[in-house]
Amino acid sequence: MNRATRIAVIVAMAIAVLAPIGLVVYQSFLDGPFFQPKTAFTLSAYEFVLDDEDFFDALYNSAVIALGMTLIAVPVGALLAFLMTRTDLPGRRWIEPVILVPMFVSSVVLAFGFVVSLGPAGFVTLWFKGVFGFVPWYLYSKTTLIVIAGLTHVPHVFLYTSSALRSLGSDVEEAARMTGAGPLRTALTVSLPMVMPNILYAAVLVFFLGFELFGLPLVLGDPEGILVLATYLYKLTNKLGTPSYQLMAVVVVAIICIALPLVALQRFLLRAANGYVSVKGKAAAQKPVSIGVWRWPAAAMITAWLLFTVVVPISGLVLRAFVSSWGEGVNLLDVLTLAHFRELMEFPNLTRGIVNTLLIASVGGALSVGVYTMLNLAAHRWQSGWTRLMDYLVLLPRAMPGLVAGLAIFWVFLFTPFLSPLRQTMIAIWVAYTLVWLAYGMRLVSGALLQIGPELEEAGRIVGASPGRVSRDLTIPLVKVGLFSSWLLIFVTFMREYSTGVYLLAPGTEVIGSLLVSLWGTGAVDLVTALSTVNIAMIGGGLLLMSLFGKRSHG
Amino acid sequence: MAKLIIDDLHLSYGSNEILKGITATFAQGEIVALLGRSGSGKTTLLRSIAGLEEPKKGVISIGDQPVFDAAAGLNVPSEKRGLGLVFQSYALWPHKTVFENVAYGLRLRNVAKAELQQRVASVLDGVGLGHLGDRYPHQMSGGQQQRVALARALVYNPPVILLDEPLSNLDAKLREEARIWIRTLIKRMNLTAVFVTHDQVEAMAIADRIVLLDGGRIVQAGTPEQLYTEPVSLFASEFMGVNNQIKSRVQDKRGGYVRIELSGHPLWGKDRAGKGVSEDATGVIRLEQVEVVDGDGENRIPAELETSVYLGSHWEHVFRCGDQTLRAFGRPLAAGTHWLRLPPEQLWVF
Repeated sequence: MNRATRIAVIVAMAIAVLAPIGLVVYQSFLDGPFFQPKTAFTLSAYEFVLDDEDFFDALYNSAVIALGMTLIAVPVGALLAFLMTRTDLPGRRWIEPVILVPMFVSSVVLAFGFVVSLGPAGFVTLWFKGVFGFVPWYLYSKTTLIVIAGLTHVPHVFLYTSSALRSLGSDVEEAARMTGAGPLRTALTVSLPMVMPNILYAAVLVFFLGFELFGLPLVLGDPEGILVLATYLYKLTNKLGTPSYQLMAVVVVAIICIALPLVALQRFLLRAANGYVSVKGKAAAQKPVSIGVWRWPAAAMITAWLLFTVVVPISGLVLRAFVSSWGEGVNLLDVLTLAHFRELMEFPNLTRGIVNTLLIASVGGALSVGVYTMLNLAAHRWQSGWTRLMDYLVLLPRAMPGLVAGLAIFWVFLFTPFLSPLRQTMIAIWVAYTLVWLAYGMRLVSGALLQIGPELEEAGRIVGASPGRVSRDLTIPLVKVGLFSSWLLIFVTFMREYSTGVYLLAPGTEVIGSLLVSLWGTGAVDLVTALSTVNIAMIGGGLLLMSLFGKRSHG
Repeated sequence: MAKLIIDDLHLSYGSNEILKGITATFAQGEIVALLGRSGSGKTTLLRSIAGLEEPKKGVISIGDQPVFDAAAGLNVPSEKRGLGLVFQSYALWPHKTVFENVAYGLRLRNVAKAELQQRVASVLDGVGLGHLGDRYPHQMSGGQQQRVALARALVYNPPVILLDEPLSNLDAKLREEARIWIRTLIKRMNLTAVFVTHDQVEAMAIADRIVLLDGGRIVQAGTPEQLYTEPVSLFASEFMGVNNQIKSRVQDKRGGYVRIELSGHPLWGKDRAGKGVSEDATGVIRLEQVEVVDGDGENRIPAELETSVYLGSHWEHVFRCGDQTLRAFGRPLAAGTHWLRLPPEQLWVF
């Protein structure tokens, strides 16, 4: 790419990132929807929201939940990472791929799973009651919400801690052992302190995700009226009867204001963590630490966690999709049925939703990877103010949870004359998805690009290729494999996305995620579980493809 | 005729000055080594010639054509300079076969298919890999990869070929062979070549001329013999060979020679830095110039044999004389005191 193209691409990205945010901020200072002719600048929306007790309740709940889930997820995730990467835990190879499942299933689907399994009339609840005569838990309390949110976010901590532990060479641990430290002392004084920056990063990430939580509190907090920021925003839509755009904008501004410093902090910590990595020892063959009889309680703990966060909700959900009724005294084998799936097929919007989801994940995902690649190439091997600007711009959409970004994109399509005909098409959905996952996708692609040494491209220039030809003939073919695996990850990510499409839901733009959210509101549990099952199956297919591909490219 | 001219080249990264005014001329058919330690600016200079770095001041011309001129705002991009560059890591494209790696430069020049086939085949033959065109780089040994890299840089007949530490990734045995065949190949094709190295033996073996760099400046330029036998500074003498150093003070000066002393014994040496009487000075003599002799005389000192190391073709002896250590090559010696002669014309005082 030459300089002019690079700058053009970066400017285009700046517009795509800044327009939605700018529109939201503008809207927040108006007294009515921005498209109405007679609107005036005012602070009344801020006054209204800051006077609303519910808002502060939601803010407080978000803070408590975020903090609580961080306190649960970080120790469990770090311990899990240590056990999986550094010890001779039995069955490590089988457990490892399953650990990440909660990350790949959409949290709203997991929440449905908890309701049908552990809710007051859930499978497990009824079974427990039948055996023991009482039920010691109540699903719809704030404590339960914190525990569930904490345990389902363990994979995030696991992912960052385990990759750091893996790149840590055995030699630093062996050095500690040689000096006379036992295995436990080595773990506590050498291994864990060395990956501390990564754990800290994961902690901030989980805290941040806690603030963004939408699916879990929507499903699990609603019955007792527990609101968090995102669900407060969602409820606000209908609070005053008419869509109160200015109030929503204020809440969005509040969410962005909280999220932005957290995003900046994450960026700072990630850099610090990466700086640490380079001083680590040689990552040669690692010898697992023997933990003796502690292997069994450790394995039991991991199994219990997996049972609770993966097996119980998902199997409950799938089971629920295949039975017509259940309750005390009902033999589940007698009530097996495919009726819910047949019913699913009778709703054109639901079948359209399934097709649309497949399309957005496959074709849309590929196009998004194309966009992320273009953006990466624009900044590739170029040190300048423009690329620094881009670094910061990428962070902005990170500060917008899917729900918020979907709303902002909806407004942009409403506001911009030449875009408004596209509002009710999948193009709007695709723009929103691409924007929401911008930072993630950019990192995936840049990871692939960083794999190729600069001299491979320089060699192309030397033998006479223009920058454009170097990209086409050398860079892109070299990262092909990396781009394909990025696409697979984006495929699964778009498949499970549920919150971004909520405000964009219209005839023609249905996707499974947003349909689930709106169906849940109508109480159509049969359809919700059937559709969730379809979603899980599709994600499972994507994950299967990923592991097959992973095996092939490693073999 | 000058093929490549570099005039007063300056380059810095931020406030860190890497090249501080390099001026050099490279003649047609000449092989020049840019020699220096890491951080001396030698690779940066090579990359500036290639157009991969942008200097802030100076001129680079290839043939008669300037390709870089800071004052005129001229900076011809790498691909338009038409040079050949062999990377230290070889930088072979892993997704292309050996044939395609070499052919790429010709494809970019829209060479017709038949001619392309023939030219790639002949250059691969030239580096002794005519039969391996279908292989991928990862299926080849390090030595073969290096030959492919060279073939890729030669195939489109560049006016100047640049080599960045071309031998550093080969093992010791292969390196010695490669020195000879690379020099033979470049000479046979009558190419102008500039190569970077930190190894003075390699520089002397391959190059017609050596440019010694330190701290972004040229210390000395000349034939290998000139650099070895007439180093202009202490740094140059240390870099080019293995020396004994005698820290002392100038006692006397006479006719281009100065007198220093080693633990009380007077030694005459060549005046190479114009130091005045009673100034601190360092005497330098190559190991192979120190002779073990029978008895006292001019420029001779007594020294205690401390230890001897057997190196196969010869012995290396370590002597002690007062608080200084002197090393010399020679035949096996008995323990005890020996007389060493340091010829005045071989003892350089800086």
